[in-house]
Amino acid sequence: MRFFDCNVGFGQPPNAAATVLRTAEELVRELDFCGVAEALVHHTAIRHESAQAGNCLVVDETADHARLHPTWAILPPQTHEFGTVHEFLADMRRHGVGALRAYPAEHRYLLNGLTFGSLFEELVPRRIPLMVGPHWAALTQLLADFPDLTVIIVGHGDWGDDRYFRPLVARYPRLHLDTSNYQTPDGIADFVGQYGHERLVYGSGFPPFQMGGALLTLARADISDEGKEAIAGENLRRLLREADP
Amino acid sequence: MTNSSPIAQDFLTRGRCETCPVVDMHGHYGPFRGIYFPSPYADGMLRAMDRAGVARVVCSSHTSLVDPERGNREMAQVIRDHPDRFLGYRAVNPNYPDQVEAEIARFPHDAGFVGFKFHPSGNCYPLTGDNYLPALEYAHQQRLIVLSHTWGASQYDSPEMLGEVAPKYPDATFIMGHSGYGEWDAAFGVARDNPNVYLDLTAAYKVAGIIERICREVGSQKALFGTDLPWFDPYYCIGCICFSHITDDERRNILHRTADRLLAPFLTGSQPPEGKQERRGSD
Repeated sequence: MRFFDCNVGFGQPPNAAATVLRTAEELVRELDFCGVAEALVHHTAIRHESAQAGNCLVVDETADHARLHPTWAILPPQTHEFGTVHEFLADMRRHGVGALRAYPAEHRYLLNGLTFGSLFEELVPRRIPLMVGPHWAALTQLLADFPDLTVIIVGHGDWGDDRYFRPLVARYPRLHLDTSNYQTPDGIADFVGQYGHERLVYGSGFPPFQMGGALLTLARADISDEGKEAIAGENLRRLLREADP
Repeated sequence: MTNSSPIAQDFLTRGRCETCPVVDMHGHYGPFRGIYFPSPYADGMLRAMDRAGVARVVCSSHTSLVDPERGNREMAQVIRDHPDRFLGYRAVNPNYPDQVEAEIARFPHDAGFVGFKFHPSGNCYPLTGDNYLPALEYAHQQRLIVLSHTWGASQYDSPEMLGEVAPKYPDATFIMGHSGYGEWDAAFGVARDNPNVYLDLTAAYKVAGIIERICREVGSQKALFGTDLPWFDPYYCIGCICFSHITDDERRNILHRTADRLLAPFLTGSQPPEGKQERRGSD
């Protein structure tokens, strides 16, 4: 399987952690240890310092690593912290950023059409994936407002969030889920049996999650080899090919 | 892949490692209020165990955490149906002291229970509270295992609270559920300082670097594989262990050796540790 991890980061967090990867080189070594070919990457500063710092650092520090693909945080267009929406999209193109991330809690905004309408109206036709944590109420409203937005929900699942996300998956065909914390026994097979293998993308959530948990869970899931290949990397590669900033 | 562990290679390519069986020391049974389980009963749990080479799981039923009489009866039936694969922890609810006494009285009459399950946070009753004392005394007298839920900074079951209880009952074996999640330094200290305290990896395994820290700071012989099955796929925990930066010897300790040693006194035909068998299960 050619694993393409949609959900990894590097950089020094503000608090003590059992694993700290300060540099992209250290992340690449860990990917190699686990046999992961490439990854969508964010810098820890994006959450703990500022979106501006994180967006700059991830581009600078992954420049020499073709296997690492940078992702950026969004901020409300009204504060103009990244210029106009079109300037932001042009910057994405220039820096090879193919996917975006939303942190409504850390960056303190409401993830809705009122705040992000002008940006999301541009993301929909461009099919740029937006990665969001399990903020179920916000996601439910967001997808009602932008049903064709390409969304990847990352890090869901400590208590098995199927009761939240299955209604959304059933209704919105551009909604995808990562597998970083999808630990439910038979969960992947049960999901694939109902919705097919196109809606899941492999992610580890590393760090803080250990990289090998989601990897082995997918590698040994009770689904077809074709389904495993798709979830391990092909679905994400397809989403990124479709994206056109 | 630069991970050269033969155990990791076996699990990745074959789904199991014939030379390294797995023993799950922290399981449950049945549906639970806040989560969708595709496979909450014995057939589904056994399917997940078979695929990953999990030889045995030690469980408490979810029902038993609320209503021990009903839940422990359910668990006893599962053990009777699958005596080679399921063992049990008899849950007690300290909010109903008469029921604690009743569960202790029933203990010798149901085969396959290795000790008690405490869930102080779930029952909103402190691990150090008096209503747990009869079960602790019995576990000490009978050399049983006590698996207690623990969580960092909890007012009911912090690592420090287990550290307060465990030395008073040296003949009982204490498993610190979830390794006192989040309050790692305190939990590791309690496990280091008390020969009768072990760390359960359930949920803790997913924190990058924690397994390495346990091996380095406490020792792999004090760490136990656990999944909360049917909550978490055994492969997730196995994957975290296989792709941690530890040795295969340490992996074997975590995956089965320590559990084998702890369970030996309770398994018919096995060789128990010296001095353990004669008092087990007797009144």
